[in-house]
Amino acid sequence: MPKPASKNRIALSLLAKYGTILGLFIMAGIFSVLAPNAFPTFGNFLNVLNQASLSMIIAGGLTVAVIVGELDLSIGYAASYAGVLVTGLIANQGLPVPLAIILVLGCGGLIGVVNGLIVTKARVNSVIATLGIGTVVVGLNFAYSTGAPIVAGVPDAFTQIALGRIWGVPNDVVIMALLVTALWILVERTPVGQSIQAVGANPVAARLCGIRVDRIKILGFIIAGVCASLTGILLASSLGSGTTGAGDSYLLAAFAAVFLGSATLRDGEFHILGTCIGVLIIAVGFNGLAIFGAATFYQYLFQGVILILAVGLSSLSRYFAEK
Amino acid sequence: MSEAPFVSVRGLQKHFGGIQALKGVDLDILPGEVHGLVGANGAGKSTLIKVLAGVEKPDAGSLSIDGVEVQLSGSQQAADLGLSFIHQELNLVPCWNALENIMLGAPKRTRLGVVDWRAIRGQVQPVADKVGIQFSLTAPVARLSPAEKWLISICRALVRKARLISMDEPTASLSIRESENLFRIVRALAGEGVAVLYVSHRLDEIMDLCHRVTAFRDGRSVMQSERATLTRKQLLEAIVGGEAPVPAHHPIPYDSSRPPLLRVSQLVSGHSVQEVSFDLQKGEVLGLTGLVGSGRTELVRIIFGADKPDSGTMTLEDRAYSPGSPADAVNLGVGFVPEERRAEGLFAGKSVAFNLTIANLLDLRIQPWLPLLDGRRRAGMAKEIGSRLRVKAASIDTLVDHLSGGNQQKIVIGKWLVRNPKLLILDEPSRGVDVGARAEIHGIIRELVAQGMSVIVISSEAEELPELCDRVLVMAEGKIVQELRGETITRDAIVHASYHRTASAV
Repeated sequence: MPKPASKNRIALSLLAKYGTILGLFIMAGIFSVLAPNAFPTFGNFLNVLNQASLSMIIAGGLTVAVIVGELDLSIGYAASYAGVLVTGLIANQGLPVPLAIILVLGCGGLIGVVNGLIVTKARVNSVIATLGIGTVVVGLNFAYSTGAPIVAGVPDAFTQIALGRIWGVPNDVVIMALLVTALWILVERTPVGQSIQAVGANPVAARLCGIRVDRIKILGFIIAGVCASLTGILLASSLGSGTTGAGDSYLLAAFAAVFLGSATLRDGEFHILGTCIGVLIIAVGFNGLAIFGAATFYQYLFQGVILILAVGLSSLSRYFAEK
Repeated sequence: MSEAPFVSVRGLQKHFGGIQALKGVDLDILPGEVHGLVGANGAGKSTLIKVLAGVEKPDAGSLSIDGVEVQLSGSQQAADLGLSFIHQELNLVPCWNALENIMLGAPKRTRLGVVDWRAIRGQVQPVADKVGIQFSLTAPVARLSPAEKWLISICRALVRKARLISMDEPTASLSIRESENLFRIVRALAGEGVAVLYVSHRLDEIMDLCHRVTAFRDGRSVMQSERATLTRKQLLEAIVGGEAPVPAHHPIPYDSSRPPLLRVSQLVSGHSVQEVSFDLQKGEVLGLTGLVGSGRTELVRIIFGADKPDSGTMTLEDRAYSPGSPADAVNLGVGFVPEERRAEGLFAGKSVAFNLTIANLLDLRIQPWLPLLDGRRRAGMAKEIGSRLRVKAASIDTLVDHLSGGNQQKIVIGKWLVRNPKLLILDEPSRGVDVGARAEIHGIIRELVAQGMSVIVISSEAEELPELCDRVLVMAEGKIVQELRGETITRDAIVHASYHRTASAV
């Protein structure tokens, strides 16, 4: 009697662990069969990767924040702000492109510092703190841009960042690959990464081990903020303009990816590699919808459902891990 | 007590993953008896209790209540059959008051459907009087002492007409006087026909209190015996399997000419620490004891940098020492093993290697200028401590969640060993640890001291300190009221000193 039950359980826990990867392949398989000329081509493959790059960068940063045990809801707004600010600094203030980018990345870090200080020192729940700071960022965005998109005076030097290619690979993909590798090494292969994981696993024990928990949490928010800014900058570069709400939608996509990722390979634990898989699932899904010419509302349906599904899978895999 | 057993367990088996937690367990609990259940950590006591509570389903074997075989479908059915369980972590809702906690899950309602507090009070009050509750039933549970929480838990069981109450390590967080009160209640319950399953590592209590004793070892019931025909030695051997380890300790005489490692002077923190001064020498085991609330925990928190004192100074190796955080303390060579090891010491969901190396991350860098983890050194470090502490785990990559309680505790202590701190503070190092693991932990402490480390041990168990310490400081009401050295460290002296101050203050 107990034997089949435990077999079922093993099957379920395997499904929870590898289900996301399986889902990715099934989805790609279906699209390949239904659209053999459009989906399974090298060009489309690069296209999917390119579209996934920006999501991956912002979701990678968010992953670090969730690993330390905090949520960051300000990243979408921070990305929008970064896009507006970087184009504005270049077009209106006449700053050189590299300087503007560095300043805007710094701004993202600063948003992270503020988030982190509010969460650790004022002990405000991170959902509320980052929602509040995110809204403040929206305010700053409008204050700077007066709500109008910044289109005029954006030089080619800036738009070429996203549009350029290295050996045929879009720059976005290269930047994403470098960043994701760096984040993976940071989290999995450095002492700081161990501290990051320890703080997420048990903050009290981490503190008693001599880890400076507050600093690690602030670091998590900084990484999330900088990555969000980078996404915003690359988005503005590819659009050729800074639009006040351009990056907002990345928030949900990033969360869906991060939670899908936590249900991948590890039992409900957040990790960078998982987030990559999560981003790919969403990107492939969107790509398929676009190829079949689905109406815009399907994108929202897909994204909403995938977010719920992701969180559900994540807690299910944790549940089976504890069994 | 020759009646038919109330609960009868036969050939119970249960496995979790690859681990066979119960390999065939028999147990009879008679009505109105106090039945002691002993065994090393991981011997299967908790698994048996989970099966009885209806939380886990057994793989094989039978459970009979009043001679009728039952298959428990859940905890509600177990409760309906009169089985009640008080876990070590007392599942009480902290912000609720005693009444609400007692009635949790079984509220009485008026005809209008609202909770009928008057009827509840009427039902609870007599039970509360019986177990000797003298505090207000409407005060939030968070403000009550551990002993008072125990009384509430017992009350909850009785209100539900429990016929068997299982108590897991009931005296672990109680003072001696509170424990004696609990024993009185347990005996009274037994007198009224309620059976008590008394799970404890404290063999003195088992020998004092129980009518019969069952010993588990390695997932089997290896002994069931009448207390009257049982010796302490037999009991120990049943638990350990073979000859019991004999603790031998020769305290190092205190020599005031040796250089002190830590010097604490005139430390004050609110009411809990009042003008405390003492020295700790290099290579010394200093015991710190006193009743709950005597200020010992607060004192240690200051030494470890978790709290800041109002006034007073400390020196570590003759240098001013005022850690602003535990991280400062760790950097200066102080380690801390917290009392709540699972909650405050263990990283669940992480591997053995992760847990063993987390306090020593900087040593794992490939080079100081290349802050990447050296995987091989990390594995070597984890393996070395693992074998030194005889941690039983499939590999260093096993998640700590899958280890037994005793092994988890070794890991929490183990993470400090590679670091070789100058001072290691252990809060209740053998709480909830079986006899064998306790002897091992004491062995580890002595080994560390032999290498020149100084150790502060906090313990509520008056028996533990004489086995371990060179010197003992007894605290009461925030002050050090007695210093015991060498041969004068005895259980009686410690108990006497603990109560001395309180008695004179009354």
